[in-house]
Amino acid sequence: MPTLTYLQAISSALRDELRADDRVLVMGEDIGVFGGAFKVTDGFVEEFGTDRVMDTPLAESAIIGTAVGAAVVGMRPVCEMQFADFIACGFDQLVNVAAKMYYRQGLAVPITVRLPSGGGFSGGPFHSQNPEAWFMQSPGIKVLAPSTAEDAKGLLHAAIRDPNPVCFMEHKHLYRRIKGEVPEGVYETPMTARVAREGSDLVVIAYGAMVHVALEATEDLDGASAQVLDLRSLVPLDNEAILAAVAQCSKVVILDEANSTCAAGAQVAALIAERGFEDLDGPVVRVSTPDVPIPFSPPLEQVVLPSVERVKEACRELLAY
Amino acid sequence: MATQTAQQAQAGGGYLLPEDRIALLRAMLLMRGLEERAMSLYRQGKVPGSFYDGYGQEAVSAGAAFAMAPEDRLCILHRDLAAHVIRGVAPARILAQYLGREAGVTRGRDGNVHFGDRRLGCVGMVSMLPDMMLVATGMAMVFKLRGEARCAITWFGDGSTSRGDFHEAMNWAGVQKLPVVFVLENNQYAYSTPIDKQFAVNPVERAAAYGFVGVTVDGNDAEAMFEATRAARERAVAGGGPTLIEAETMRMHGHAAHDDMKYVPKEQVEEWRKRDPIERQEARVKADGTNVDEIRATVRAEIDAATEEALASPQPDPARATEGVFCEGEAEPLGNGLAPWSGFAAQRGQVAS
Amino acid sequence: MSFSRTELVDVTMPQMGVSVAEGTVVQWRKQVGDQIQADETICEISTDKIDTEVPAPAAGVVAEILVPLGATVAVGVVLARIAPEGAVEGNGADGAAASNGAPPPAPNGAPAPPVSNGTGAPRRYSPVVQRIAAAHGIDLGRVTGTGRDGRVRKQDVLAFVEAEGGTASAAVAAPEPPLHIESPYRPDPVPMTEAGQLSRMRRQIGEHMKRSLDAAAHCTTWIEVDMSAVEAARAPLGLTALAFVARATTLALREHPSLNAWLEGERYTRHDAVNLGIAVSLGENGLIVPVLTDAHQLSVEGLGIRIKDLARRARAGELSPDEVREGTFTITNPGQYGSIMATPIINQPQVGILDLEAVIKRPVVLTDAAGNDAIAIRPMTILGLSWDHRALDGVIAAQFLAAVKRHLEAWTAAG
Repeated sequence: MPTLTYLQAISSALRDELRADDRVLVMGEDIGVFGGAFKVTDGFVEEFGTDRVMDTPLAESAIIGTAVGAAVVGMRPVCEMQFADFIACGFDQLVNVAAKMYYRQGLAVPITVRLPSGGGFSGGPFHSQNPEAWFMQSPGIKVLAPSTAEDAKGLLHAAIRDPNPVCFMEHKHLYRRIKGEVPEGVYETPMTARVAREGSDLVVIAYGAMVHVALEATEDLDGASAQVLDLRSLVPLDNEAILAAVAQCSKVVILDEANSTCAAGAQVAALIAERGFEDLDGPVVRVSTPDVPIPFSPPLEQVVLPSVERVKEACRELLAY
Repeated sequence: MATQTAQQAQAGGGYLLPEDRIALLRAMLLMRGLEERAMSLYRQGKVPGSFYDGYGQEAVSAGAAFAMAPEDRLCILHRDLAAHVIRGVAPARILAQYLGREAGVTRGRDGNVHFGDRRLGCVGMVSMLPDMMLVATGMAMVFKLRGEARCAITWFGDGSTSRGDFHEAMNWAGVQKLPVVFVLENNQYAYSTPIDKQFAVNPVERAAAYGFVGVTVDGNDAEAMFEATRAARERAVAGGGPTLIEAETMRMHGHAAHDDMKYVPKEQVEEWRKRDPIERQEARVKADGTNVDEIRATVRAEIDAATEEALASPQPDPARATEGVFCEGEAEPLGNGLAPWSGFAAQRGQVAS
Repeated sequence: MSFSRTELVDVTMPQMGVSVAEGTVVQWRKQVGDQIQADETICEISTDKIDTEVPAPAAGVVAEILVPLGATVAVGVVLARIAPEGAVEGNGADGAAASNGAPPPAPNGAPAPPVSNGTGAPRRYSPVVQRIAAAHGIDLGRVTGTGRDGRVRKQDVLAFVEAEGGTASAAVAAPEPPLHIESPYRPDPVPMTEAGQLSRMRRQIGEHMKRSLDAAAHCTTWIEVDMSAVEAARAPLGLTALAFVARATTLALREHPSLNAWLEGERYTRHDAVNLGIAVSLGENGLIVPVLTDAHQLSVEGLGIRIKDLARRARAGELSPDEVREGTFTITNPGQYGSIMATPIINQPQVGILDLEAVIKRPVVLTDAAGNDAIAIRPMTILGLSWDHRALDGVIAAQFLAAVKRHLEAWTAAG
């Protein structure tokens, strides 16, 4: 099995889809001739042509809106937002046109929106966001957030093949830092959670880049057996896996790189409080970025994003409770 | 008879047969009749929410939709009911839709004219305007990519041209030279905002700035609307890119049933009354020798029957309110609708032979 | 004095009947420091239906009282702790600390004792810890907590289970079976808690009556019944008229099931089985309504025997909590004092109550088959039915009474 970076895995999925299905169409700013801001679609134009690997005008609303039009006449458009942050410009088309169409009109909108998200490299307030919670709140949109190369490919296949609008959160910081064995060919990863590490004294629930922070923070916790649960899918949210982990471990730390208020982790915490109460041996703890735009300068950015140290500390305190 | 033939030949640029003129009239009569009936039901408290109509603008949607082929795709707006009628949505379904019943096109999930029968190639509108311009642009983009001889059409109002999506759609369609027809319904008012508060330059002039043709048409002349749209479609299908058709018309009722349009000068309304689209088409049809009263009576009977059917149909099941947010099976694309224009039959006939 | 925490025995709020979830401590019979025998009453509690005493699970000295007089707590909550005989005395902490639950330092050599949360408040256990303890019959008072401030963690109770082997070894491991054990009623006169105040029992009855009047739309309908057939039948059987009325009532309820029902707010539940409540006077102590479950399955003799037994046990205070619940209809029979009619109050959430007053000989008009009238002397009684107009109308009430009358008047030996 080849070892690919997270980014290569995404490219691989896109390539395989374009090859397998004539209906697949990739569109975004600078993704064609230039190969994409992060080079995800490098070399694609040569293989698939400019019609199917489309350089669009600088118009996020139009990218999403035309993708909806394309989808309802039989295509499978995969839009790229150059940075997840720019989805704000296409917000209306996504939540009002795409998300509600099936419920209202019975007309499916099979679009995928790829969103390079997350911070940690001095991107500043407009290039570092984790906006997934905006779309968890919007009925009719699925939201996926892989943390490994294998899942990145499998979930992107699943997203493109899903008949619904899907936001695919690809964490920029993992693009080249994370490598893994990736099966060849097309495979679909289920939209469920995954136990990243088994454990029983405490479980850290995370997704995306935070899974790696969780794994590092819990590697050596004074001998405690810490489980790490990788959510992978935010909508649908794997309630069963979350509650099973709570039943097993009874102590929970939830990680969000997104701003704390109403982040995905807040929903997980609410679920646990409501349905996992009987299994708890301590309060539900959240570690998240405070409610502040992501600052640019490294000392500021590093203190707001959840660090390995912060997570370790929270775990220790909860274990001792 | 020679005069009549010449007249007939001139009708709709020579593309409309007497049966087409009747079809146009019928579509407009159905639109007006259905809207009047629905307004009456609204005032009786049977139609929930708010109520919008396109009184006085019937030709804009009737004429333009009449030029669309079965394989074309339509993004229809809230004052364009005739387009739905022409595509083949049954009057009873339209009324059930207004009444919020299970038999309505959206099964009670969206209200009044926020519907589109996907099986007939229509996409249901959203309230944010002109979002649907982008959807139409996207459909046209794919037709071009796939080399298909078909087009997409969308209607939008004077007010909506002030929003960003207008620019993004015009720009995208122009830069990619897409087979899309943009019908700008300039009915002089966006709610209470007159056009001189909406734009400094009439949007039809801006088409050139985006690289394509803009034409102004008498929006209250169904046959002129048909001709302009037919020509735009021809251009689109031949690879000539988009057309912006500005249909000049007047919104004769308020923005919605709850608006008494006090802000509109009475003289303006009177002026436009004289140019009523249905009266004008009736005159043509009469001149062809057809009994208009019979047509009216038939339409009325159809609407009465539809009303009875719609009122008798059941409410949607509350137990299923949260179903259908996600598609669980295959995504089905839009289907083909009706295209009653004789020209399409002729074309098919030609192809067949 | 103070004791090692792991030695203390918990006294918990018992479950008085399957549906009871909480109870109120109405009297402490012992104070901290008092000696107590096993099974001796340590406190009295009151639940919705029944008051009872709580016996000490072990002999020893009362070490802690955790729930104050008058407090209402859930079933299972620790009320007090007893240091069993032979418990090791520790050093340090003063008596006050012991009485409010602060644990003492351990004797030398023992593992460092858990520190209380400092406020002296009772220990809290997390949901999962309580669940594990209940499943294994663990007395949490004996578990050392290694969490913050001496908190019992899940690992602590699991370790305890493993070390002690669970149910078998715990002296008071199993929860008390839900039984009413001792008589709450005395043949003595009404125990007033304070001069001039109603007893708790009186107050509860009063509240129930008041609530019933507030909730239901009370109407009363009466019917005269000729009891001569009953009088003839009952003497050889040695039964009271009440048994016959009970039998006729169960038959009539099967014919008119709308009276064999509950109305709770908007929810109306009709019952197939007739669970017949018989109001029993406890003299000065008030009223109690034991229930004959499945009364429709009993013959008049069976009813007679059961009613007698229930009444006896009620007066002796020997009823179990489950015997005063789930009634679907009630009969009240204040006795042969000569009163002839009453307007009884419905026993919530039922919709009807039948009152049997005195049977008195009266002159009555009898019409024979030919239509000739004559005067005879018959033992007559007036049955009163109070019924809830929310659930039914006068017609039904009248029909029901007519059915009862019919069964009573047509009584034969086979009846």
